[in-house]
Amino acid sequence: MNSEELRELERELVGLVNGADVDAEALSLRLHRFQTRMIPEYGAYVRHLGGTVETWRSIPAVPASAFRTHDLSASRNGGEAVVFETSGTTISLPGRVRLRSTRLYEASLLRSFSRHLLPDGARLRAVVFGPTREEAPRSSLWFMADRVVRELCSGGVWIVQNGEPRWDLADAELARAEEERRPILLLGTTLLFQAYLDRCDRKRVRFRLRAGSRAMDTGGAKGTGIEIRRKEFTFAFSRVLGISPSHVVNEYGMAEMGSQFYEDRLLAEHERRPAREGFVIPPWVRTRVLHPETMREQPGGALGVLVHYDLANLETPLAVQTEDVGALVNGRLILEGRLPEAERRGCSLPFERFVDRERARS
Amino acid sequence: MTQGLFDAFYLPPALAETAETSVQRFGPAHDSVELRLATVSPAVIPDWIEALRTARAELIAQRSAAEVHRTLERVAQRFQNRDDAARRNAVDWLARMGRFSPPMIEQALMDTFEPLTSGGVSRWVASELGSASALDAPTPDRHGVPRLAFGPEWMLQIYAGNVPGLPVWPFYSALAMRTALFAKTSSQEPVLAPLLARTIAEEDPLLGACALVVWWKGGTTELDRAALERAPAVLAFGGENAITSIAREANPEAKVVLQGPKVSVAYVASSSLTRTGLAALAARAAYDIALYDQQGCLSPHAIYVERGGQVGPAAFASALGGALEQLRDGLPRRTPGPREAARVQLYRAQAHFEEALDDRGTRVLASAEGTDWTLVYEDGARFEPTPAYRTVRVHAISKPEEVVEALRPAVPWIEAIGLDAKGSDRRKLAAAFAATGVPRVTSLGSLQRPELTGTHGGVHRLLPFVRWSTIESGAAKRGTGKRPPAKSRRPSGKNRKRG
Repeated sequence: MNSEELRELERELVGLVNGADVDAEALSLRLHRFQTRMIPEYGAYVRHLGGTVETWRSIPAVPASAFRTHDLSASRNGGEAVVFETSGTTISLPGRVRLRSTRLYEASLLRSFSRHLLPDGARLRAVVFGPTREEAPRSSLWFMADRVVRELCSGGVWIVQNGEPRWDLADAELARAEEERRPILLLGTTLLFQAYLDRCDRKRVRFRLRAGSRAMDTGGAKGTGIEIRRKEFTFAFSRVLGISPSHVVNEYGMAEMGSQFYEDRLLAEHERRPAREGFVIPPWVRTRVLHPETMREQPGGALGVLVHYDLANLETPLAVQTEDVGALVNGRLILEGRLPEAERRGCSLPFERFVDRERARS
Repeated sequence: MTQGLFDAFYLPPALAETAETSVQRFGPAHDSVELRLATVSPAVIPDWIEALRTARAELIAQRSAAEVHRTLERVAQRFQNRDDAARRNAVDWLARMGRFSPPMIEQALMDTFEPLTSGGVSRWVASELGSASALDAPTPDRHGVPRLAFGPEWMLQIYAGNVPGLPVWPFYSALAMRTALFAKTSSQEPVLAPLLARTIAEEDPLLGACALVVWWKGGTTELDRAALERAPAVLAFGGENAITSIAREANPEAKVVLQGPKVSVAYVASSSLTRTGLAALAARAAYDIALYDQQGCLSPHAIYVERGGQVGPAAFASALGGALEQLRDGLPRRTPGPREAARVQLYRAQAHFEEALDDRGTRVLASAEGTDWTLVYEDGARFEPTPAYRTVRVHAISKPEEVVEALRPAVPWIEAIGLDAKGSDRRKLAAAFAATGVPRVTSLGSLQRPELTGTHGGVHRLLPFVRWSTIESGAAKRGTGKRPPAKSRRPSGKNRKRG
């Protein structure tokens, strides 16, 4: 009965993601009721908080940290197709996201990725600055890269092997693309790209990749003590690889969410309009910005705590409270600049040292 | 006095004449403060160091350590005096930096300077070196052996800005040894150290010429390196990355003390849990939590409360909630930034989640609105720092062994344990906690007031930097103690030695 309901919800949600005309509000309330019943820990939390849920706004958001401490999946333990892990910390285990089916997750990721990285319908060869899905089976990021390469690209190469980046592989792949005058797609973490670009600078390696080449980076440098300035980062892509800054697209995502947010810059260029600041929120996701002290909804442009309502979360709670801070400007998400806060705090022990809620998914 | 531009640096007059300055904004964009800063470059650092060395040589020639100590005590007295311009300036500018409320700044200045007044500096030096005069002339130690103490020629100090008043004792430690001081402030709190230096120079220009205070952005490699590779002594406070990089860049010959990130905890024994004493006990705990909004290493993040007292741990938790509520107005908090508040909110939501599942008997008590204070109560001992800003976890426990066990892996990150217990119970518990290696065991309510004569991070404040010249009488017998008993030493022709 429940698995039938699950399949039915999945069918409707996949339809929603693919642009079908569906009442998203009604669907989100149905999904919430399903999750309250099927995820016992979440159900207990909802009952504990009390109150009635009449609109998507009043759906109780689960704290992102609860994925670390509790099993928040609707599917039976052992019955899942994939298990994604969030990053672990000094004293806590990594969080887990167990999915029986990845259909909705895949529909969502492919839809957003093609819209923001491949709006021209290009079918490119990919260079993944990361490991294969087989090497990192618990990573939602490398699962995503795998789906992108297999569904949307004409093939690909993975340059992290046995945990080590093989810069020689990247060099060879980029040289071949340059020689064949063929645009390519780069996918990876901000940190790994930064390491490769630094290494190319040191070794005076330069490529002039074909126009239309592009890159998606994710993760930032939070928690590493490395400060990466976005402008310098995108400029390095242009200087070292010849990829236009408009074609370096940052992604914001977390293992606890089925959906990802992308910068607008490549799509804007494709649509011949100026790029708008911030991350585009997929149509099946709502993000609320709450006042950090009162937790009341903030007016547009004001900074606050981000709570996401993601209809690509079928088997895990759709509403997730994060520790991320940002603002909504014209429906786009502006993430608060990541100050190296922990470092500035001096002799008090940074909370992050122990409970690092970094969204790194690699 | 907070009008106009503040000079967030101090250079002795000879250096100030030629130094370039610039104006920079500090603090959050909506509430920033403009400060004038000396421009520091790798080229000027060696010249400044040279000037400090020259001034220090003159100081040694012209001032006894005792004279220096008296000057420092006078300066401390001025910062204690609410009518003194030095004190007023310090309160005003620390408040302008926006990190702490004025009542908290007043408290910080009181707690920091009070031990340094009325002979405090000389008592401090005596407590570590045996006698304050050991810095002036060979002075018999407790075995009667005359020893002369030397401070380093100069010291590099790098401050953190997490609690107000942090630079004061380090600043005094250098000058008390007649060691010249090159101080680098933190962007969070670049005002107190320059004010202190200026006040010292007002009292004694020669002593003032032995100190300079500047700021540059931490991690500016060429500046860090130019100072660190020359410094014969380094005392630095900071986060993990800063400390690691200082350790890497420091001169291998230098005497280095690094104070990295830490927090504290508290323990309440059942003997302290009486009906009549509950309110005062909760007030002591609340004060330690609230002071400096848990930004310092002496702020408790976890309180372990024994069961079996006249009142139970749950009653203690609600009394503590009440006491924290009272301090909302009594000792106001600075409103945290959005990122900091977001962490508190997530921590609270997680606690409510655990409360819903009743895993550990979790209960959440919190201020009605805002993140003013958060108390999470649970059964059993564990250790995890909270996101601060008056966020604390109260653990109901049955015996101290549980706590010792929970703290064991975290000892490198714990600075102090605030203990509340009575009589022999207190002695036993203090010994058990000291045995864990946590550097300081003190009383609850006194966590934020460390002893000047005590340690920080488990090391003294002067001794790690001192070099000794010992005058032996030369009368000690040679070779005794190392020779095996004569019986076993059968003299053979080959191996014979003179007796």
